[in-house]
This record gives sequence, structure tokens and C-alpha cells, in this order.
Amino acid sequence: MFTRKSSVRVAVSASVAALVLAGCSSATDSSSSSSESDGAPGEGTTAVGFIMVGPKDDFGYNQAVYEGSEVIKEAFPDVEVLTAENVPEDDTAATTMEQMIDKGAKLIFATSYGHLDAALKVAEEHPDVVVVQQGNTITTDIPDNAGTYFGTVYEPMYLAGIAAGASTESNKLGYVYAFPIPQTIANINAFERGAQSVNPDVETITVSTSSWCDPGKQQAAAESLLSQGVDVLTQHQDCTSTVIQAAEKAGAMTVGYHADASSLAPEGWLTGAVWDWGPLYTDIVQTVIDGDFVGSEYNDNFRVGYKTGTNPFVLAPYGPDVTDETIAAIDEAQALLGTDEGSPFVGPVLDQDGDTVIEDGVVPTYAENDAMDFFVQGVVGNLAQ
Amino acid sequence: MSTVQTAAPVALRWVGALAAALVIFSILLMTKGANPIDAYQGMWQSTFQRSRSIEEIFIQMSPLVLGALAVAVPARAGLTNVGGEGQIIIGAVAACGMFLLLGDGASGGLILVAMLVASVVAGALWAGLAAALRLVAGVNEAISTLLLNFVALDVLLFLIYQPWRESPVGQPATRELVDVAKLPVISGTKVHIGIVVAVVMVVVVHLLINRTRWGFRISVAGGNSEAARRSGLKVSMLVLSALMIGGALAGLAGMIHFAGVEYKLRPGFGSQLGYTSFLACWMARHQPFPILVAAFVFASLSVAGDSLQLDSGLPAASVNVLTALILIAVLGFTTMRKKANA
Amino acid sequence: MSLIVDVLSGGVRGGTSIMYAALGETVSERSGVINLGTEGSMLVGALGAYAIGVETGSPWLGAIAGAVCGGLLSLLHAYLVVYRGASQFASGLSLLFLALGLTSLFGAAYVGQPVVGFDQWDVPLLSSIPFVGEILFQQDPLLYLSFAMVPLVWFVLFKTRIGLLVRTAGERADSLTVHGYDVRVMRTGAVTFGGMLAGLGGAHLSTAYANAWFENMVSGRGFIAVALVIFAVWSPSRVMAGAYLFGCAIALGPALQARGYEINQFLLDAVPFVLTLVVLTVLGKRTLSSSPAELKRVFENAPPSG
Repeated sequence: MFTRKSSVRVAVSASVAALVLAGCSSATDSSSSSSESDGAPGEGTTAVGFIMVGPKDDFGYNQAVYEGSEVIKEAFPDVEVLTAENVPEDDTAATTMEQMIDKGAKLIFATSYGHLDAALKVAEEHPDVVVVQQGNTITTDIPDNAGTYFGTVYEPMYLAGIAAGASTESNKLGYVYAFPIPQTIANINAFERGAQSVNPDVETITVSTSSWCDPGKQQAAAESLLSQGVDVLTQHQDCTSTVIQAAEKAGAMTVGYHADASSLAPEGWLTGAVWDWGPLYTDIVQTVIDGDFVGSEYNDNFRVGYKTGTNPFVLAPYGPDVTDETIAAIDEAQALLGTDEGSPFVGPVLDQDGDTVIEDGVVPTYAENDAMDFFVQGVVGNLAQ
Repeated sequence: MSTVQTAAPVALRWVGALAAALVIFSILLMTKGANPIDAYQGMWQSTFQRSRSIEEIFIQMSPLVLGALAVAVPARAGLTNVGGEGQIIIGAVAACGMFLLLGDGASGGLILVAMLVASVVAGALWAGLAAALRLVAGVNEAISTLLLNFVALDVLLFLIYQPWRESPVGQPATRELVDVAKLPVISGTKVHIGIVVAVVMVVVVHLLINRTRWGFRISVAGGNSEAARRSGLKVSMLVLSALMIGGALAGLAGMIHFAGVEYKLRPGFGSQLGYTSFLACWMARHQPFPILVAAFVFASLSVAGDSLQLDSGLPAASVNVLTALILIAVLGFTTMRKKANA
Repeated sequence: MSLIVDVLSGGVRGGTSIMYAALGETVSERSGVINLGTEGSMLVGALGAYAIGVETGSPWLGAIAGAVCGGLLSLLHAYLVVYRGASQFASGLSLLFLALGLTSLFGAAYVGQPVVGFDQWDVPLLSSIPFVGEILFQQDPLLYLSFAMVPLVWFVLFKTRIGLLVRTAGERADSLTVHGYDVRVMRTGAVTFGGMLAGLGGAHLSTAYANAWFENMVSGRGFIAVALVIFAVWSPSRVMAGAYLFGCAIALGPALQARGYEINQFLLDAVPFVLTLVVLTVLGKRTLSSSPAELKRVFENAPPSG
């Protein structure tokens, strides 16, 4: 009893001391976050921050971001590049961005779809800092110091779909995905339509894992697809090796995502959509440093694709089973996508129920494709109601 | 073995144990090519010499303090509440449900009060379930509260994937809490009033368990339930009430995390908050005031984790190693050995 | 029919890592020590197996390394609770945090590296039995090892002297002391062995099932294992059945999705836990009486105050 009381007293004084200490150090703090600068947001920044939702070496989405940040390091030797991995898609992301701002960053790349809320919050609190978000869309008024950017990943996925549709023997393709975000829905639809363009009977079966990377769930998803007779597997996951190896071990073919993983599937590799963020990142950083961000194309929901000629998604090298004939068809389709008449979603586009969603002959814009909320005919699977 | 210890060796044990934890972590840092002195310096500066970080510590502290109190109260009655994780989630789910029910029409104050009541009641009932299972069927509460964590998580995910989902496309989440119902912040800071609530609850719990008849009774029941029964105490009511008060505190923690920080329910909401609180409570030896210190330490370590990757280029989760080493030091090396089979 | 085969064979495959861990936790709890750090032991086991698999090219060396890593982490748990008198719950959770941190620190180098894992190997003759053969005998060698592990653990626990000593440590520790045995040694051994099995479970996950290493890839399977031991009332054979039940609940979701059915996975996920609570309630006092007596004491007296 006696000891307990004294220990309480010690602890109370310790906690008071801690609170006082905290108070003191906040008083002596030299806060740089609120310092107003006269120039344009982000102008002359000496540091650039990148936050990633997963580890920077995931052989996928986040690694591509990290490699892009390495390009910035080389292109701007005077600029400090700050990277933070495993930043969750909740309010902690804002805290991490604040830390970067305190280290001098006036430009931050928030690179996961779910980082948008935190990115907008940080942008609002720091008018002198530019925050750009990768892959999502700002649906409200776009502030002067924020924007989103992305490539049209569904274009190379459409081309990969051609390879898949031409190669499948069972006419069943499998798609492992995380969440039904518009980006993923557009990928799945484009993949199916690419396949249909050379093989009208083909269907794409979808399974969601509800996680950007959970290898155990990916394996279960891949197995369930393979047992349905699927002979080409593809995915929209942040880490990709589990699904690719599951396909290879089962003797099925695979279409990659994020990275060239042909070494994991020497037999079954067809092709894939892989990233090259370097040029786009470089241009964004240059624009911000020059003080030209406000009103620029990046101060918007910026999308690049085959039409603009700088798509950060490129087609991975082809695997052994892709015939010359197929490659020729893909080249032709890619050339068409680069023209005003080209799109994976030239009407008529029917949804799963057979209703017309895009009228005959209509070429939807990039912005319209970015808001896609239905599966096209030929896709097997349900969107949450 | 005598439990009476003089103050000096106890202090010495704490210093020695914590120093050992820091040294071991330094060695690990060196194997990864980082300079430990720079790393500690970076952590210290970015955590304690930066007002935003200090605010962040106080923001993160409040649910931890409440979650730890949720362990401490039942512990006084000899009960092990491993279910903070689930009770926090259920508290947040109840708060969010109340908001969705009332909608935009209601005033901010009304929504806040309704969320508060709902979360406290829901947390208490969720923990009460475990208490009831113990009283009716003799199911141990450590087991049932642990199992109920998983059920709570699945309830959360079920709701945000379908009935409460804001939009069928996009990542699953509920809609955002309206601005008027968000927890107000302490003026001049970004710290929401959750920390005030937490400190008040520390005092309340301290008085409750040390100064009230009920507090005395639960500690008698916790010490020797047979003796308590013979002296005429209703042990079953004491068990039920202690666990439910614990659940209510955890539910409150969930509401504060929801209305003060997250504003939306997403997958991963409050992840590991309950388990961290459980450890904070152990570090504080189940005493209310020391819980403030333990929660402060845990929150500081969590904030310092950012520095490890920004300054030292180490993976974000590395800070878990330091947290664990400190815990191991405190759990295993600061007290005199107890009897081995306890 | 194909749905049933898919779910059952997927459940066996996906449930194996959980089964190894739960089997280990059974041994540990039989000696009177609960280990909430099982999740952590699986995690270090998964990384240890993967890393050694990558470095040596041998999945079996990897599996051994996984078992060693899992065992070492649990040995630390045993030391803290048996020799230092730390709380079993708090120590286990601390070790989980340690494992999360260590595997993140040392695992980054192995993300995305290809590993030579365990391949499917159909057991001659048995694999061609309709239905049963597809479910049980078209799997990988580490999974077949788990078939042997269940009766082995049962035999050692219930039919050998060492098993008797371990169980006595969990039932009547005092009587061990009277006969000149050291309870602490028994418990340390049992907890460490339990961690080794959890490490093997992690090895199955990373080198036989998912063929990948990724941070936090165990994602709750270790906690499921701890719950499962209670569901199985500390019996190895019921652990096996329970692990496959959990595995099937996990496999049913994707199997239905692949057939075009809409499904809310989370209702399915909750079923095993609710079922465990129901089993505990129905069995009531019977469960309590079959729980190791010393473990009961841990639950009852857990938090000392002051």
C-alpha cells in the first residue's frame, strides 16, 4: 500500500513535468509552417516530399513512385527529396506531410488514391505549399495550390487486353482487384473491351481482395479464378508477385501491372502496363519551382494519355506466346488511341445488363472515363450496391 | 517475497532498463547503416522541438488514455479486458450511426451529445456481453473480449462496405461528419478537446476506484472473490459493472477518435489503438495518473516514427522495435520478480 | 460440386498456416502460458523462411529457419513471463510489436525478390481418389507435414512422459515441483516449441501459399490461431478441424465472387469468431474445466495491482 502511493506521486509529478516540458518546447519552437511567402505557392522550393501508401520496394505502385522520386533527385541536385512510405490513407497522412513542410518542402506528391482528403486539408492550411495528388479527382473547386495528375492506365490495359483476348483458349480472363474505384473499373472495362476487339466471346471474371496488398488474399483470389478455367490472370494490386506466380505455377498466362515482372513468369508472361513517372514528375517540379503552378495544367485534374503523347504508362515487353500478328494488331490499336477518334470506350458501350451507356460513335473524354461507375458487358462480377 | 522496495533501486532499475532498450535499438540502427546519435537527435527535435508535433502527441494521447483506463478499471476487479480494440470500434460505429441517423438537420451540439451517449452505451454493452458470458456460462472475459474484437472489426467492415458506404464506387468509407459536429479544438492550437476529456476521466477514475465504496468493493472482489462473497458483496454485479465501465471508457475513446481525428469510418479505423492502450495500462501498472505518462510516451514514439524515416531513411515501422524494447524493459526488468507461476 | 471442392481445398491450403500456429499455441497453453505474440512468431517465421529461401534456394532450409525465428521470439516471451514474472498478455502483445518492427527493418530487402518455394506435389495414388484426393493430396509438401504434425503433437502431449510433464506444468505446477522437476523449464520448452510451429505456419504462408514476403503479411492469422485454440478446447484434432473451418470461411468469399455472386465477405469472416463464442457458451463450465488449470489462474489473477 505504501509503495503504491509513493509510486503514484512519482508518476503524477513525472506527468506534470512531461506536460510542462511539452509546453516549454512549444514556446521555443521555431515554426516555419505558418511563414507566409510573397511568391507563388511552392516557388523556389528547396525540398520535395513524396508520401506513399505502401513500402517503397513493393515491386509495384509505390516502387514506381519511389523510382520517380529518384529521377527528381538526379534532375534537381539542389533539391532535397523526402520520401515517406507506409503512410495510411487517413488523417496521419496530413501529419506526415506537415513534417515534410517543416523540413522545407513546398511541394508534396500525395501518391495514393486515398490520400486526397489529407492532401486537400494540408493545401488549405498551407497556401504557400503545392500539394499534388496522384490518381484521384478533385470534384470541388480546385484551390490555387493543389491539383491531381494521372496517366490513362486503361489505355495500355486495353492493349494488353488485345494480347490476352488473342491468347486465351478458355475465353475466360481473370482480374484480381482491390477496390471498385473508377480507375480500377476503367482498367477492367478496357481490358475486357481490348480482348473483345479480337475475340468477341471472351469474358473477364473479377474478384476483389479489399486490400492493396495482402498476399494471402491474393492467392485465394487467384486460385478461385484459376479453378473457374481462367487462363489469363491480371490484377490491380500494389504488390503483384503473388498473383503472377500463381498463374505461372498453374500454367496460365499473365498480364502484369506496375512493373515488368516477366522474370517471375518466363513462360506465361504476355505484357503489361508499367510506369515511367520520371518525365512527368520532373515537369511538375520544374513548373512549381519556377512559380508557374497557379493556373497551369497541373493546377487541375491533369490527365495524360496516348493522345497527349506523354502517358506515364507504357506497355511492358512481350512474352514468348504473343504472336507477330497480335503485336501488329496492338500497334495499330495504339496508333488509333493517339488520334481524336480513338478510345477504349468508343460507343456503343453496353453495361452488364445490356443497356447502352455510351451511344454509338461517341468518343468519351478522359474526364468521363475517370468517373466510370459500371462494368461493361462481358465482365463477370458485382459492384457494391 | 517482499514487495516493499525502497525508492532508489526502483529508479535505478527503470533507468537501467530504459538505457538498455536504447542501446539495443542503437545496435539495430547501426546494422542498418544509420547513426544512432543522429537518429535520436532527429527524433527528439522533430518530436519535442516542433509545436505541430507536440500538438499531435496530445491529439494521439486522448484515445490512448481512455483506452488504458478501460483496462485499468476492470483490472481493479481482477478482470482482464483485452477487448479495448473492439470496444473502441463499436464506440465509433455507434457515434457514426448516430450521426447518420440524425443527418444534417440536427444542430452540432445535439449530434455531439447523441454521439457521446451512443458511444458510451455501445462500448458498455459490448463489454457487458463479455461480462454476461462470464456470469451466465463461465466464459473467461479475457477470451471473450479478445474474440469480440474480431467480431467488432467485421461489424465495422460490413457497415462501411455496404449499408453505410457513401458511394458504390471509390474506396469504402462512410460520409464525413458534418463540420459543426466535429470536436472543437483548444483555441490557438490544433488539439481537439479530447485531451481535456481524457485528463478529466483520469481524475474521475482515480476518485472512483480509490475514494468510493464501489471502488473499494471491486478491489475486494478482485483480490479474493470468495472472501468478498462471504462478506455479503454481490460479486456478479461488481464484475458486470467494472467491465461495463471499462467498455464505456473505450467506447468514448472511439467516439473521440472519430469526431476528433478521422471524421469518417474507413477500413483500418483505430487499428491497434486498443492493444496499444492495453500495453500503456500495463506500463502504468494500472494506475490512473501514471497512465497519462505512459500514453504520452506511446504517442511521442508514434510521432517520432516519422522522423526515423524522414531523417534516417528507415522503414516507418522501425519505431515499433523501439516501442517494444521499452515495453519489454518495463514489463520484465523494472519490478522485483514475482512468483514464476503467476 | 466444384464449388465445394474449391472451397474445401482452398480452405485446407489457406488454413494450414493457421493450423501450425494454433497447434503450437495448444502446446504452449497446455503448459499454462498463453502467447498473444503468436502473430509475431508467424511474422518472423514468414520472413526467416523467405530470406533463407532466397539466399540458399532451398525451401526446406527456409522452413527450418522460419521455425527457428518463430521459436526465438517465443523463447523471449517464455523468458519474460516465466523467469521475469511479466504479464502474459502484455508480454505477448509487446513481442508482436517487436516482430512488426524487426520484420519491417530487415524484410525490406526481400520484398519482390523471387523465392524458390514449395511446389504442388500430388501424392501418388491418393491424389487420384475422387473428391478427397483433390482436397487433401494435391497440395504442397509443407502442408503434408502438417498432417503428420497433428497426431505427433497429440501423441507427445498425451502418450509420452514429456507430454505428461508439460500438461502437469499447466494443471498442477506444484506437484511437478514436489517431484523435483522445474516448472519453468517445462514451460519455456513448451512455449518455444509453440513458437517454432507458429514460425512454420509463417513459412507456409510466405514460401508455400503466397510465394511472397510483404510487411505485415500475416494480417491477423496469428490472432485467429489463438482464438482457434479456445474454439478447439485445447485438443490437437479439433485444432485441425477448426483451422480448416476458418480457412473455408476465408476461401468461400473469392470462390463465390469468381462465380459472379455478390457477397459481403465480412459476415463470413465473423462466423468463426461468433461460432467460437457460441461453443464456449454452450459448453460453459465444461470448457472451463477442460482448460488447463494454471492457464485459468493466469486468466483469473492476471493483473496484480501496484
